[in-house]
This record gives sequence, structure tokens and C-alpha cells, in this order.
Amino acid sequence: MIIPNSAVRLLDAAAAKYGDKTAVSDEYESVSFSELKERGMRIAASLLYASREGYMPEPVMVYLPKSAKCIASFMGAMYSGNPYVPIAYDMPANRIQKIVDLLDGRGHIITDEAGMEIVKTMDIPPTFGVHLYSDAVAAEPDEAAADKALSRITDLDPIYIMFTSGSTGEPKGVTVPHRGAVDYALWVQRTFNITSADKLGNQAPFYFDNSIFDIYSMLLTGAEMAIIPESLFMFPSKLPEFIRDNKITVIFWVPTVMINVANSGVLEDIAMPTLRTVAFCGEVMPNTQLNIWRRNHKGAVYANLYGPTEISDVCTYYIVDREFDDADPLPIGRACENMRIIILNEKNEVAKPNEQGELCVIGTGVSLGYWNKPEISDKVFVQNPANPYYEERIYRTGDLAYINDEGLIMYDGRMDNQIKVKGNRIELGEIECAAMAVTGVKGAAAVFDAANERIVLFVESCESLVLRKFNNELKQYIPKYMLPGKLVVMDRFPHTANDKIDRVTLKRMITEGEV
Amino acid sequence: MDIAKTISDFIIDKFEIGDDPDFNNDVHLFNEGFVDSFGAVEIVAFVEDTFNIKITQKDITLYPMNTVNEIAAVVESKL
Repeated sequence: MIIPNSAVRLLDAAAAKYGDKTAVSDEYESVSFSELKERGMRIAASLLYASREGYMPEPVMVYLPKSAKCIASFMGAMYSGNPYVPIAYDMPANRIQKIVDLLDGRGHIITDEAGMEIVKTMDIPPTFGVHLYSDAVAAEPDEAAADKALSRITDLDPIYIMFTSGSTGEPKGVTVPHRGAVDYALWVQRTFNITSADKLGNQAPFYFDNSIFDIYSMLLTGAEMAIIPESLFMFPSKLPEFIRDNKITVIFWVPTVMINVANSGVLEDIAMPTLRTVAFCGEVMPNTQLNIWRRNHKGAVYANLYGPTEISDVCTYYIVDREFDDADPLPIGRACENMRIIILNEKNEVAKPNEQGELCVIGTGVSLGYWNKPEISDKVFVQNPANPYYEERIYRTGDLAYINDEGLIMYDGRMDNQIKVKGNRIELGEIECAAMAVTGVKGAAAVFDAANERIVLFVESCESLVLRKFNNELKQYIPKYMLPGKLVVMDRFPHTANDKIDRVTLKRMITEGEV
Repeated sequence: MDIAKTISDFIIDKFEIGDDPDFNNDVHLFNEGFVDSFGAVEIVAFVEDTFNIKITQKDITLYPMNTVNEIAAVVESKL
């Protein structure tokens, strides 16, 4: 198929073909393809009415509880020719403010009544459009205005901006083009044979790029996307019941959830006869828990996917095609179509087989960089050093990897301070910046305690601080998933010879059980 | 049996809350940081065992269970 200029053209086709069939459902409502299009057109009209003249698009922040309303708002943004920016509903106002500031006064926010109260406390420039969802979705559709807005879009224009943790305390807006998302959906459709008969059990939050697997498979194939209520993820042992009761056929989840379900023991008790494809991505999937799934839920296709937000979700995949011992690492496999992986060693040369280096990505999925941050983009979106002949942009992931004797890519950890906790990507520096904003804190160092899967925050302070109360303050600046699980207060940090915080000593205090 | 007291005694003991004055039966256990997200599972396992009931995925979807009193209400509806 020809890649359309805007991914929302997939919704036009689906609405024409599938009409009243359910596109997306949540715990409150089911929305058909026609209804989704109608809502999108109404929201677009509202956005376009509030738009200003200008060359650049106006990103649309969608600040709503996770629901079908978010999907309708994303469609509305696209029909208005603008990228959307998913904002976690529990994101602290301070962090939302940073995103508003990065958007330079050009943009919109769609929110609900409760969100509006928070937005009112923020410093929103007068050039910014602020919309109540209930009003936006009640606007009269304006097909001519939407057609005009869409006619100037190309497939290389941004479809969404997803904000991810930044080490300096400022989130980074990964800007992905329509082409990246649509090409990925086409790959998902082919690889997992997704059809209109499928029902996708959506786990991924919309601010997490795994969700584009669900959203764009739904739009491309006419499958139903069932948003699993967020409250259920606190109770992993209940998830197989949901899959069974709702006849889910395909899931694409973060390994933490898969691990929690496996560890709960429930897979032995509950059969999920409709579930045929189990894909996962976002962090390392241990074979111990994958084997529990494979033993108890036989016959499904299991697939390990890999990719950072910067490359439109996924760039390599491995269909689990043989037995693995519990202690074996699972390959991340081979590149997806229209993608290529090179491993660059310390000399910036292409690594030999089994030689470790930085995993770098080339191809359609590579994003446009970080919104309004050329200086950070230029460090990681660079010319392929192995190609002196023409312009070939690569994304340097900061992930370490090697290619094994079977030609499969093996993930081997990180080069920097980025960590994954329960599937969430976190820069430890962002936590430290937030901690410095708490009264009485003179210094802060966040260290990942891998054995206990928690962040230990060391703070230099003369005051006695309690974790729960400290975290309640930190929550004003960083999302909940970044909160430390342990707080260690010190009068003075150990320092290295050149007067930096001695992180090696702090790390050793954790591994040796001193804290 | 006082259902709410049984639940709150368990939570205070299990999550080492002690005599924190901010804790009560209507406080949001998760938002206020008394219980982390993994703790929810332990609370449900505790009430299922103690009261010999089954909390289903529908219960969790339909009813809030963020405070001691909310959890007690779900338990009571099952007895």
C-alpha cells in the first residue's frame, strides 16, 4: 500500500469499511470507527477555530485520563494537521509546565474539568489554545477546514511528540513522523497477521510509545482496541480473567506486567483460549517468567520486540522459536523491515560478530529528533560514521549490544545512567534535579538498586527526612514511577579526588547491604 | 468482626506505618505513599484469604479500592 500523508487517512478508510464496528473500548464506552471519525472531526474543528496563522504546526497536548476520549483527541489533532502530545493524567503540573514552555507558546491543551483546574494554576501563554474535551467534541465538524489543513501535510511531518525523561531535569520530546507510525503498523499487521477479527488488549499508557502498536494496528486493520482499565494493573493476577472475559486475541505488554502475571501463579488456573499472540517490549524479558507463560499458555506466538521511543517504537524483533533455559538471555533478534541495525564499537567502527558496541538504528522509523532541542538531537541523531558516501542519519541508542553466532542481536545493558523501572524509562539525573528542589536538600544522588528493583536516593541534608513525606514533595516535580523506594540521608557525600560525588562508593553501599 | 479494623491493622503492620498521624481509614493509600503499587496485590490476597472471598477483575474495575473503608465496603458486599 502507499503510505498516506497523514495516519488519520487510515481512520477515513476504516470508518468507510467498518463503520459501526467497535474501534476502541474502555471501561465506560465502546466507540465505533464512524463515531471515532466523527469525534475526531469535531475536535479538529474546535482546534482549527482556535488556531493562529503561521507556518509551523501547533502541537496538541492531550491531558485526559486514559480512555477512548484520548484516542478521539489524537484523531482530532491529526485532522487539524497537528501532532499530538500525550500527557499522563497524573503528571505533576511542574513537568507539564516544562512541556508547555518547550512548545514555545504554540499549541493547544485538551483536558477535562479537573484537569482544567490544574491548567488554570499554570503559566499558559495567551497564544496557547486551551480546550475542554466536552466542548471540543461538541463542535460542528468542518470538513473543508480539515481537508485544507491535511492537504499541506506530508508523511514526514510529525504525528506525535512523546516526552521522555531527560538527564538535565527537562523532559525530551521525541518527534515522530506519520511515516514512522504507519510503516510500523504495516509491519505489525504483516508479522502478526492482525485482522479486523482481532481484539487488542491495550496495556501501554498513551505517553509510552508501545501504545502505537495498538492504536495504529486498530486503524490499519479494523481490529478492536480494548483499553484495559488502569486499576487492573495493580492486580496482575486478575489480568488473565480480563483477557478471557473480553476475548482478547493479541497483547503487547511491557515485560514487568508479564512477569507479575507469571509470578502470581494465576496462569496455571485460568485459560485464555482466544489469546494467540503475546508480544512484549520496553525492557528485558527474563526467560524464567516467559517459560511460565509458555508452559501454561501453549500455542501462542511469543515475540520479543526492542526499540527506543526515538525510532517509532520497535526496530528489532525475535519470534521465540525454540526452548530457552530460565537463565538464558532472550535475543532481541533481527531488524524489522525498513530498518537496519549497526553495532558501533568504541572506535566508531562496525563491530565484528560477538564484539560489544553501541546499537545504532537506521531506517524509516528513525524519528525527527527532540522537539525544540537541536543541541541534544545533534548528539544522538548523526551521520552514519560507516558511510562516507551520502547522507544517512542514524540514531545512537546508548544501548550496548552484540551480534551472536546465529546472527541475532543480543542486548547487553546501557552506556549511561538511564534505567528502566517497571518498564518506565528514567534518567537518574531527572530525579536528582527534582530532589534538589526540596527544601533542606544540599545534594542528591540517585542510584539504581538492581537487586531490589528500586531507586535509592542519597541526599545531603542536615534534616531528618522520611521517605513517604519526601516523596510527596518530589511528586510535584516528577512522575510517580520515578519516586525512590529508599531514602538515605547523609551529612556529607563521599567525594572523588576531583570533587565529584563518589557514586562508586554509594553503589557499593547498596550492593554490600549497608543501606 | 470489624472488617475495616482487620484491614487497617494488616496494612499498618505490613507497610510499617506505625502511629503516623496522617493515616486513617479514608486516606488514599497509594496517592499518599503509604502503600506502593506492589502492595495492592498483598492487600487483595490478604482480604481474599482472611474473609474467604474472591475479588474479581470486574470488582476492581467497577469499585474504587484506594482507602481502607473502600476496601472494606467491597469485602462487605461479598460476605
